[in-house]
This record gives sequence, structure tokens and C-alpha cells, in this order.
Amino acid sequence: MINKEIFVIKYKWFIIISTLLIIVACIFPLMKTTINSDLMSYLPDDIPSKINNDKIEKVFGKSDPLLIVFETDDVLKESTLKRIQTLSKEFNRMKDFDMVISLFDTKNIKGEYGAMIVDPVIKRIPKSESRREKLRAEIKTNELAYKLIVSDDFRYTVIILNSVTDKTDIELMSIITELLDKYPGNESISINGQAYLRAEANDKISRDFMVLLPIGMLIMAIFLWFSFKEKRGVLLPTFVVAISIMIAMALIPLFGWQLSVIGVLIPIMMIAIANDYGIHFIAKYQELNAKHPDMTMNEITKDVTSYLKKPVILTGITTIVGIGGLVTHVMLPAKQMGVVTSVGVAFAVLLSLTFIPASMTFFKKGKILKSFSENQTKIGFLNKLLVKLSAIIAKRPRQIIYIFVSFIIIVILGLSHFKIASDFDSILPEKHSYNISLNIANKHFGGTKNISVMFEGDMKDPEILKRMNYYEQQLEKMPEIGSVNSIASMIRIMSRAINDPGEEFYDKIPDSREAIAQYLALYSMSGDPEDFEDFVDFDYTKAVMLIQYKADDIKTINKIVDKINLLMNDDENLSVIGGTSLIDKDISRAIATGQRDSLIFAFFAIMILLMIIFKSKTAGLIGSIPLLFALVSTFGIMGWTGIELNIVTALLSSISIGLGVDYTIHIFWRLKSELKTTDSYSEAISTSLRTSGRGIIINAFSVIVGFSILFLSAFPLIQYFAFLIIISILLCLVSALILIPAICVLTKPKFLKK
Amino acid sequence: MKTKKNLIAIILIISTTMGFAQTAKEISEKASNVIDMEAMEMSLTLKIYNAKGRVRVRQITMASKSFGQINKTIMKFIAPADVKGTSILVFDYEKKDDDMWIYMPAIRKTRRIISSEKGKSFMGSEFTNADMSKPNMDNFNYKILSSETYNGHSCWKIETSCKNEDIEDKNGYSKRIAWIEKGTYLCYKIKFYDLSGELHKVQSIKQYKKQANGKYFAFYMEMKNKQNDRKSQMIINKFQIGSKLPESSFTPAMMDK
Repeated sequence: MINKEIFVIKYKWFIIISTLLIIVACIFPLMKTTINSDLMSYLPDDIPSKINNDKIEKVFGKSDPLLIVFETDDVLKESTLKRIQTLSKEFNRMKDFDMVISLFDTKNIKGEYGAMIVDPVIKRIPKSESRREKLRAEIKTNELAYKLIVSDDFRYTVIILNSVTDKTDIELMSIITELLDKYPGNESISINGQAYLRAEANDKISRDFMVLLPIGMLIMAIFLWFSFKEKRGVLLPTFVVAISIMIAMALIPLFGWQLSVIGVLIPIMMIAIANDYGIHFIAKYQELNAKHPDMTMNEITKDVTSYLKKPVILTGITTIVGIGGLVTHVMLPAKQMGVVTSVGVAFAVLLSLTFIPASMTFFKKGKILKSFSENQTKIGFLNKLLVKLSAIIAKRPRQIIYIFVSFIIIVILGLSHFKIASDFDSILPEKHSYNISLNIANKHFGGTKNISVMFEGDMKDPEILKRMNYYEQQLEKMPEIGSVNSIASMIRIMSRAINDPGEEFYDKIPDSREAIAQYLALYSMSGDPEDFEDFVDFDYTKAVMLIQYKADDIKTINKIVDKINLLMNDDENLSVIGGTSLIDKDISRAIATGQRDSLIFAFFAIMILLMIIFKSKTAGLIGSIPLLFALVSTFGIMGWTGIELNIVTALLSSISIGLGVDYTIHIFWRLKSELKTTDSYSEAISTSLRTSGRGIIINAFSVIVGFSILFLSAFPLIQYFAFLIIISILLCLVSALILIPAICVLTKPKFLKK
Repeated sequence: MKTKKNLIAIILIISTTMGFAQTAKEISEKASNVIDMEAMEMSLTLKIYNAKGRVRVRQITMASKSFGQINKTIMKFIAPADVKGTSILVFDYEKKDDDMWIYMPAIRKTRRIISSEKGKSFMGSEFTNADMSKPNMDNFNYKILSSETYNGHSCWKIETSCKNEDIEDKNGYSKRIAWIEKGTYLCYKIKFYDLSGELHKVQSIKQYKKQANGKYFAFYMEMKNKQNDRKSQMIINKFQIGSKLPESSFTPAMMDK
């Protein structure tokens, strides 16, 4: 140990220059950082839903629709229709979209006066009330438009664009916004679609970095100044945090990764966690400086380093192991978080034990701060509280355990409401245009979820088409399903235009292959052959059924998928079931299993670490109780508050395990050392709480202050995360300070007496 | 769908005399007249290729004849087998939308079709309904760009641009550039530019044969879509000027015959 101290002081220049070199080395990768807000892209490529979706997209082209929703009292008003018409025309002229669907593009296929008519839904904008009502009545009978392009109450209409652009999401959205602004109107507009979500998330990720990082650093510096009232007390821990953030963030481009929404958490976590080790150093230095005014700076540095080495390394390791549990996660952003934050924390520990002492030797000894003694009086209040608390623990350990058990029972009931997010829609605030349009689409249109079912075979074969038609009719009976479309429904719509009501083939798939081919030939003379390209391939050997529905939980998605399987599983022509909602489903499952795996990994790793540190199985078991208590409570609270388990909140347990266990270690450590000098648990607990307990509380609050910066995030997901991590840390704190001593009083474990 | 002189009048609006200082419009008008037929009968193969080179082949017979102000065309599918016997009858009026009927033998039914879109695909091919019709010369601005030799033909390069957006929307293009041979006024190549002004399709016209009436007829046409790599070919297998079919053959009631 002495050699090491000597090393730190002897090679201080080497340490400082190496640290500076690391900073320089970080700059280059940092400059190459890119943002990828598309969470779908983070899912491994080999999951079935992605493979299936790729198969369908290979035949039918990439589907990346954008929905522009217009809201007004009546969308058939002349001014609104004029605006839609102009915009639709402009979008049609743009190369960025291979499909534009609006009231002016969607087809109206009907039979009238013995003729088949294929026209856009609106050919001419109605100028009189009577014409408008005639159009309204007509739209109500058009199943390609009613409730798909225009809402049932005619208050909403949409323009749907399928993007095939090379432009970035942000560029594309700015073109669309410019165009919408160029043709203003009284309608309120909201947008949804993955490109919009990605663009908005991208923008907000950058914004979060620009806002949260400086505010976080500032709050940390203020916190440090109030704690230490000394420049070095602010500068050195801040410097360690800054370098740890740089290292952690530089690893992302270095590993070839991109920054996701979760990336925002990384620097804030470093602010919350990485300064702890530096804080301990400065606190100990000030304590020694006050207690031993005769000691030189080098002596103080040596003493502090040797005193702190073990606890800093131990708590560092437990934090790294806890967060490192995320490496087992299926979702790449979680894995990234696990890797880079662990490395960042490891560097923070290393720098706190090398760079801070090395730099300290350059500082003159600071004045013995008045505030140091002032603090004593403040601590007096906390001390009194802790003394009272320790008395209660020693006297009534059973009651304390009962209180904890009752609490856990209440929160466990919340687990029945525990939900896993079914999509990433909640990424943006509820009032965001994206979510407004989603709500409209779910309430007034066919929904925002989709599943595609691909069939293979002779797609002019009436038997196959009749089966597809049957599936469609069965699916449409489900209240969640908004629309089902395929070549079969197109043929059926055509049959209504070709045949008159009451005729044999009216509203039916014809019986012969020839008739189907001739319907299609008829359509190719009047409509656009591209109208079918969404449904059937060039050779008429593959067809896709598009199912649009509404769902806000995995249960509904499962219900729809089960129904599809039940209906079509035995169909020999069924090829692939795909669609983005199945990817959502897989992501959701990945979040749940990733959560489970990283949790199990972290939990057992920490338990084993505790067993090793205290050389006792009991230590591992008792030490795990606060973690278990905090975790179960947090999940219960998620159930009660309706906060879903999503890609961000799934990171919670690993992080809180990694941080929360430190408190238990400190308490065990102190109890053990106190019980060496006394047999009285009451006394040992009292001393432990007053000394280590105080430190733990300050430490926990510094972490809470760090994480509370996340409340300023633009992402509600991250705000929820901040809320839950704070709750979780408080629970870890309370159980380490109260539950652990109570259990120890009752069980008097041997390892504390060793 | 204006099917007037389908396939023949195709595309070429273009014309002029050999006279000195002809305007672009005159050249275009001449080019249009040199292929204008009053009546004809033919059989043709329409090949539609997708980007991957897969092909749909359609065999069609066709007769076209003018009766007063109305040009009437009847087309019949010969192949593929599943559409064999399907007939299409088109009445192309000078001043109003076409009338069109289709007869479907599988359900023994004749149905009238009403559609007002002309910029759309012709029978699922890269040719459009607008290509099949003779547009109003006054809807366009004409400009001689330069002279150029194309495939051994000394040509004018004539740019024809739509006068307004409505005309663009109706025709499905903003402008086109045609290679018209000096002397014969035959058009050998046309480049079509889409509504945002980018190259969309390139048509090549080959195998002109002079007919007894002094007019020319192209036996091979190809339209390549430069944006999606699809292409379509029209190959004329048989052709004759004039048609002996009586007007009664061009009626919906006779389509099943």
C-alpha cells in the first residue's frame, strides 16, 4: 500500500500527463459521435419478426408511412379541401415519396348507371351545400376512404406519405413543415410516423445533451462548493466526472455504436455516480486537515489514499457489476449503457485514486474552513435523528420488520397493474403533435398498429382469394381492427362496381381464375396498376394482407396475433406474418427478458460479491434484502403509478442494484468494526448510523441531486426514470439504514462478529 | 382514355414543313401529321418488364376507324389465356372525355368504364394513356433546342413543355424533348421529364414503314422508365391501313363477338 502511495506521489507528473493524453485521445472519437434515434434498428437482425418483415419488404417495398392529420369542424369545407388538394399535389411532385394518399388520390371505385367508375374520391371540390352533402354520402360508402382517409365525423382527414427518400429524417420533416407553412389554413395539423418520431427524438436527444449536461455540471459544482467551500473541492471531482463522461461517451463511436435516447442518461449517471469517489477524497482531506494541522500536504494525501483505497474500490466494483449486468441485455442501447458506464465508473475510481491525489500534492494546504465547524452543528440535528432511529431499531426490530413487510405487501399489489410498453409512442410528451395524431388515428381512424400477412401461390386462384376474403371478414369483426385490405378486398370492391346489387357475382370473389384476371385487366384500363402494388407482386405469385388496428398494450397485440394464427395457420399458402407491431412485440419481449437477465445477473453477482467481501454466505443473503426490497417496491410502484417497463425504465434495476448495495456495504462494514469493540448491538447501531449512516445519507442525496437533473429531459421516459431511480435509491437507503440493522439485531449474524 | 390512333399517333405531336425558318411548333405539327391514320387494323404484342427483368406478355388485336367526329377503337386480348376474349371499346371524342367499355367473357358481361385520368399507365405498361392520344397543340410551348444526329438520323431536338400545371398533371409530365428527323419528320426518340423536372422516361421508336397512303407507321416502340428501371415494349406483328369493319362492329353489343 505504501509503495502504491509513493507511486501516486512519485509519478504525479506521469499520472497527470497520462490523464491529459486520455482527454486528447477522447476528442477524436467524440467528434465522430452520431445519433440514431430509431430504436427499431437496435434490435438484433436475426429476430424472427425482423426477418419476416424484411421478407415482406423485399417483395412489397419498404413501408415508412407518415401521417399528416388535419382537424377542423368539417373537412369537406371548400378552404380545407383546397388546402389538402394543393398539398397533395405538391407532395406528389416530390421525389421523396413513392406514395401519396389523400382525398384527392384515393380511388373511388363504384358502379353507376351500368358503368364502372374509377375516380379520385374528390374529383371536384364541391362549392354548394347540396354537392357537399352528396360527396359526404358518397364517401360514407367508400371503404377505401371512409374511416381510413376521413374520420367518421368528418372532423379529421389525413394525407399519408410513404417515404423513400435519401434525406435524413430531420431534413425530410423540415421540408414537410415548410410546405405545410407555405399553404396555411385554419386546420390544426398533427403528424405521426416513424420518420417524424425519429426526427423529433433526434432533435430532443441533442437538446437534452445541450441542456442537461451543462446544468448537471453546474448543479454538481454548486453542490460541491456548498459541501467543501474550497476550489479544489469543486475542481478535482468535477474534473474526474468530466473525464469519465468523455471516456464513456468516446467509447460509443469507438465501438462503432450510435447514440440512442438512452445515451442521454450516460453523462447524467456519471455526474451522479462518478463524483462520489472524489467527494470522499476531499471530505477526508478536509477532515485530516482540520484534525491534524501539522500534517504536510503529501502526508495528508498519503493517508487519505491509503484510507480510501479499499472502500472506494469495493463500492466501485459493486457499482460496475450492477450496471455491468446490462451487458447481458438483448437491446443494444442497454448493452452499450452497461459497457460504457461501467468503463466510465472504473475510470472515475481509477482517477479518484490517482489523478486526485497526484493533483492534490500541487495544491497548498487549504485553510481550515469555518464551515467545517459550522457543519458540525447542522450535523447535530441529523445526528439526533439518527440516534433516535438507532434506539428504535434496537428496541423494536420486529415492529420495524412488520412495517417493511406491510409496505411490501401494499406495493406488491401494484404488480398486478404492472405493464410492459408495447411500442415507443410514449417516448415523446403526451401533448406532442405526434401523440395527438396517434390518439386521433386510434380514436377516429383504423388505428396505428399494423400486421402484414404474406401469401404465396397463384394469386388469381379464386380459392386462395376466397380464403383471404374469409380471413378479412373474420378479422374485421374484431372491435380492435380498423381495416383489413388485400388484393381479395380490391377484387371484391371491383365486383361491386362490375356487377349490380342482386347479381350473382356482386360483392364476391368470382369463381373462375379467368374472371379474376379479367377484373384486373378491366382495372388496368381505368385505374392505376400501382394501386395493386401494395397488395400483390408483379407475377401475381405473392400477395400481402394489411391489417390495421388499435392497441395500447401487448395483450391486445397478442390477441390479434392469436386470432390471425388461429385463422390462417393451416393455410398452405400462408408464407410469412410480419409488420411493425410484431417487431414492437419482440422489442417488448426483449425489454422484459433483458430486464430479467440483467437483474438476475446483477443480483446474484452482487450477492456473491457481498459473500466474498464479508467472507460469509449470510452477509450475501442479508445484504441482498435491501436490494430485493427496493426492486420489488419499485416494480410495485410502477404498477400503481402506471409507469410502464420500457427501454429506459428497464435500466433501472441494474443501476439501483449497483448503487444501492454500497449503502449496505458501508453499514455492514461499520457494524462489524463497532462490534469488535462492543457486544451491544444498540451501541454499535447508534455509532454506525451516526458515522457511516450520515455519510451514506449525504452520498445518497448527492446521487439523487445528480439524477434529479433528468427531470429536465425532453423525454417523459427519462423523467419517469429519474422519478423511479430516486425512489429506488431512497428505498435502498432506508432499508440499509433501518431494515439491515433491525435484521442484524434479530439474527445477530456471525460474520459481523468475526 | 384517348385511344385515337392508338399506338400510332402515339406520342408524336410534333411537325412542320421543310421550309426555311420553321418554328418548333410547325415541326411538331408536321411530325404529328406524318403518322396520322384515319383507319387501321393491327395485332401487337405488349411486353411489360419490371425492374428485375420479369415480363408480362399481352397479345392484342386492334382496329380503329373514324366515324364523323368520333374515332372508335376496338381492342381484343388474344393472350394470356386468362384474359383471352376480353375486349375494350373506346370512343374518342374531340371535346369530351372518352367513352370506354370492356367485355369480360368469363362473366359474359360488358361494362362501361369511366375514368378521367390520362397521365396514368396504359394497360399496366410504362406507356400512358396520354401517350396514346393526340394532345391539343395549343397546350404546349415549343422550342428548337439544337440539331443532333441520332442513330444516323439528322434530327431537330424539339422541346415541348406544358403551359400550366393542370396540363402537366393531366399528361403526367412537365416537358419532353423529341428527336425529329429533318426531311421525314419522323420522331425517333422522346425524353419525358416528370412533374419536378427530372428525367422520367425515354421512348425509342424504330422500324418506320411507309404506308400506301404516304404516311409512316412505327412497328417497334419501347418506353424505359429511368426512375424505377421498368420498361415496356410494343411490337406490331401485323398492320394494315384502313378497316373494313362496319360501324356496327364498334358497338358495346358486338363486343362478345
